[in-house]
Amino acid sequence: MKHIVKILSLLVAISAFWIGLLQAAIIPRSHTWLLPIYFVVSLGCYGLLMVGVGLMQFPTCPQEAVLLQKDIAEAKDFFKHKGVDVGSN
Amino acid sequence: MELADRAVGLLLSSISLSIFTYYTFWVIILPFVDSDHFIHKYFLPQDYAILVPVFAGIALLSLISVFIGMVMLKSKKKKA
Repeated sequence: MKHIVKILSLLVAISAFWIGLLQAAIIPRSHTWLLPIYFVVSLGCYGLLMVGVGLMQFPTCPQEAVLLQKDIAEAKDFFKHKGVDVGSN
Repeated sequence: MELADRAVGLLLSSISLSIFTYYTFWVIILPFVDSDHFIHKYFLPQDYAILVPVFAGIALLSLISVFIGMVMLKSKKKKA
């Protein structure tokens, strides 16, 4: 809930800045009109960059895998002692 | 497998960074450069700065819609 408020206020601030720029006409209109598209393009680039970075350093935890396998073996042993069929291996 | 993932990640990051740099140059910096400067040779006219992203967005949206439609059709066929 808090996060969306932050994002929304950022969006409102950016659009207010843009409308102010549009009204003030410091720089030519045609260039001011490009800014929202620039914003969208940079958002897309950011998303793509985040996906790329996440793929590059994909977190793997081998120790956790070993622990999990140990837990599975323990549980299977436990159930076998209680007489529950948990399949082969 | 992990190496391929890493390569894809590097490719994605570099593509996004290069698009961002090029577009920033195109939209933000180029209006402040003289129009007879040699650097204008490397960029399309300003109109394309709107047209290209809009068309890319439309193409992306239609591709996503086609993909979703195909998935829904496939799942319907499986259910029947």
